[in-house]
Amino acid sequence: MKKALVIGGGLHGLSTALHLARTPGWQVTLLERRHVGRHSSGVNAGGVRRLGRALPEIALSVIAAEMWQNITALVGDDCGFRATGQVKVAESTADMAKNEARVAQVRALGWSHEEVVDQVEVRRLLPAVSRHVVGAIVTRDDGSADPMRTVMAFRRAAEQAGVTIVEGVAVTGLEATAEGTIRVDTDQGPYEAERVANCAGAWAPDLAALTGETIPCGTKASMMIVTERLPPFVDPTVGATARALSFKQTAAGTVVIGGGHQGRNDKAAETSTVLFGSLAHAARIAAEIFPCVAQARIVRSWTGTEARPPDDMPVIGESRTLPGLFHSFGFSGHGFQLSPAAGAAVAELMARGATNLPVAPFTQDRFTVPA
Amino acid sequence: MRIVVVGGGPAGIRAVEQLVRAGVTPIWIEEGPDGGGRITQRPPPGFTRDHAALYGADAGRARRLHATLDAMKPRTDWRPDTLVWNIRPQDKVLHTLTNGAAQGEVAYDALILCTGAMDRVLPLPGWTLPGVTTLGGAQVALKSQGVGIGANPVLIGTGPLLWLTALQYAKAGAKPAAVLDTTDFLTKARFGAGMLWNLPTLLRGMGLFAQLKLRGVKLHEDITPLAIEGVDGVTAVHWRDAAWKEHVTPCDAVGMGWGLKPEAQLADLAGVPFDYDATQQNWVPRKDVAGRAPVAGVYLAGDGAGIGGVEVAELAGARAALAALGDAHLPSDMALTQHLDGRLRTERRFRKALEQAFPYPAKLAARMEDSTSVCRCEVITAGELRAAAAADAPEVNRAKAFSRVGMGRCQGRLCGTPAAAVLAKALSVEVPEVGRLRGQPPVKPVPLQQVG
Ligand SMILES: Cc1cc2nc3c(=O)[nH]c(=O)nc-3n(C[C@H](O)[C@H](O)[C@H](O)COP(=O)(O)OP(=O)(O)OC[C@H]3O[C@@H](n4cnc5c(N)ncnc54)[C@H](O)[C@@H]3O)c2cc1C
Ligand SMILES: Cc1cc2nc3c(=O)[nH]c(=O)nc-3n(C[C@H](O)[C@H](O)[C@H](O)COP(=O)(O)OP(=O)(O)OC[C@H]3O[C@@H](n4cnc5c(N)ncnc54)[C@H](O)[C@@H]3O)c2cc1C
Repeated sequence: MKKALVIGGGLHGLSTALHLARTPGWQVTLLERRHVGRHSSGVNAGGVRRLGRALPEIALSVIAAEMWQNITALVGDDCGFRATGQVKVAESTADMAKNEARVAQVRALGWSHEEVVDQVEVRRLLPAVSRHVVGAIVTRDDGSADPMRTVMAFRRAAEQAGVTIVEGVAVTGLEATAEGTIRVDTDQGPYEAERVANCAGAWAPDLAALTGETIPCGTKASMMIVTERLPPFVDPTVGATARALSFKQTAAGTVVIGGGHQGRNDKAAETSTVLFGSLAHAARIAAEIFPCVAQARIVRSWTGTEARPPDDMPVIGESRTLPGLFHSFGFSGHGFQLSPAAGAAVAELMARGATNLPVAPFTQDRFTVPA
Repeated sequence: MRIVVVGGGPAGIRAVEQLVRAGVTPIWIEEGPDGGGRITQRPPPGFTRDHAALYGADAGRARRLHATLDAMKPRTDWRPDTLVWNIRPQDKVLHTLTNGAAQGEVAYDALILCTGAMDRVLPLPGWTLPGVTTLGGAQVALKSQGVGIGANPVLIGTGPLLWLTALQYAKAGAKPAAVLDTTDFLTKARFGAGMLWNLPTLLRGMGLFAQLKLRGVKLHEDITPLAIEGVDGVTAVHWRDAAWKEHVTPCDAVGMGWGLKPEAQLADLAGVPFDYDATQQNWVPRKDVAGRAPVAGVYLAGDGAGIGGVEVAELAGARAALAALGDAHLPSDMALTQHLDGRLRTERRFRKALEQAFPYPAKLAARMEDSTSVCRCEVITAGELRAAAAADAPEVNRAKAFSRVGMGRCQGRLCGTPAAAVLAKALSVEVPEVGRLRGQPPVKPVPLQQVG
């Protein structure tokens, strides 16, 4: 058996470990500094969305969407996935024009999941939407899932596939050995493996830096707010064309509002804090698009941290300084949906050195090699 | 020097008094329309019952506190009807909401948190029916509105507040159908001796007991509450006596409470670490004897800093203000400081005995039936919480993520204690080992339109 180590017990680490453990010949150990799902993967909005993806991400996202439709087959649990649709509303004719251009572009590339709808249809889909909304782009079989439930399902599946998950162990160093393996130092002694995956989320660029590889990357601290329970009024997850919004009513009736509004991040302390100034902005947009929430009260807010490369797309690829180390991070606030497919791709890269899954656009070379 | 005091209860009043004495004009923020806090909660203007009728044996204290309160208002930047709902400790800024509508930010150099406490509950089948309230809620209804929760309420719980509430109801003309105390006589007697540290209060407690007996209120000790019955309201309470005989007591309302729990969410958001106090069975924000938190510029006093009762609240409020003044090199009364330190030491011993005499029935909470809802906001049953434990939730925050317990509008303020007991039992560990729900802003619901 060949040994592999996965650093980080978020969804990308778990998914990578799961797929690799199902590849004959691999013995996989996952190291997580805190506990599985402690960071972004446990606290995200659960949006399973192809709608509006950057063009280079669509191919991978479409494969991930198919995996979500059959998520029970992958991990033995439905992860709370419901294909209630994703809708991105247009608030002006300018928005509509932009949407039409976008969908034309996506269709020209051969994808058909995005669809422009008019005012009549958007009102049918979202009866509570403000009257000023003139239309939308929709992806009818996108949806949402329950993040913590998803994390636990991936964890169980990974363990059943033979992955050893060790929580409370922090990786502190990475080094090539004379035998061609990688030595992984932790705060609880060294490990050794032939292949290592760097799925350490917000902290992944720091691990890359330990091996002398600089990958340009900032951090995101996306914020969410939740209202009290309201009577059911909206099924799909809703965004806006020209403004930052993500809006979803849960089965429990609470409304979860986000959209990439940024909190304050303290990476060393592993905490991020809500900045209500920018959340106010999100709240205002939400109330303009769904007037029925204007009077609702907020009961909770939170943030999560992750890495964000300059182009808001992930870094997936082998290290340029430490062969055998594979990076998978920087999902920039939309990596929940990609996790089943990205993990499969990284596992293949680790096992075979190549993959047919469409992750080529994501190597770190895009920052160093002129196009 | 910008000193902000949050809370207009006994602790806040005494803190402000010392600040004003030293020539400081603090900003003084209170969520309610007036100060007075819980024990000496003031009725709205125009309400005619006098202090003696409202506060009974605490009338003298209430009068003194209210006099200081009124004298201090014009000498401070007094802001009633103002909720502090978030803190940004890095910037030393508070977020406030006034009259439920106007948003504000208040900068501070020193912050004295005197945020008080709330009742602890023990979920029972039927506890979410209309007509069931906390003992505190039952008291507040009487003090601030002059209306009781019912004409024949059953009061369940343990602690001085149980008897006190019963007596207040009896005096206001209600006839409590029964007072059901979960603590047995022996526990009370054993630790009662420790309360000799504070003879007057002990005697008052015993006096309460005697007066209730005199008024013909039925008191039962060492009982196990089984269920609250009713459809649109409460009609009866089912309970079991010490000899395991079951009873059904008809009633029209239920008040329940098992001691108090600090309202310490603001301390949490300010970054103050918490420790488990095994005597109190509460997580308590860390502070030194003077009330200094380990976060620079943050001071804690009163029940919000660990349950101590009204006497301690007054002493600790003054003491925390003196600490804040001293730390800022402003004039502070050394003699008074020493006096307060001595008094606080004595009170602490008394308090310890009191808590031991009236323990939170964590065992009953842990044994709660699977179908009983622990979290009333999100309607999460004990069974769902146990399932979360089985799905690998070794502590409450993860149990929250799995089961939604504590995610609702109360943010775990109500369900936190029983949920921890259920989870600890399911995992076969001690209660402190399952930890404490981390605070998230807002500390109380804030209108969406008003954030930021
Ligand atoms: C508020 C919010 C809302 C979001 N909403 C959506 C959405 O609706 N849809 C969507 O698709 N995406 C969404 N996302 C993005 C999504 O959550 C992330 O892209 C995804 O979870 C990233 O997973 P990950 O495994 O890479 O990182 P993480 O889940 O952050 O996991 C990284 C793990 O690595 C561990 N680690 C770090 N350093 C070390 C070390 N040195 N040693 C050992 N372990 C270490 C960490 O403890 C952590 O558990 C959202 C994100 C946030 C914050
Ligand atoms: C409901 C209830 C009834 C009680 N009745 C009695 C009794 O009858 N006899 C007795 O001996 N003890 C009683 N106690 C205990 C008693 O409250 C304390 O011993 C004493 O009042 C503590 O004083 P304090 O100043 O610490 O807190 P409190 O008196 O509770 O005052 C705290 C004040 O802070 C304000 N506040 C809290 N959070 C915020 C915020 N975020 N923003 C703005 N303002 C805020 C509150 O509105 C309140 O006015 C009772 C406790 C409760 C909870």
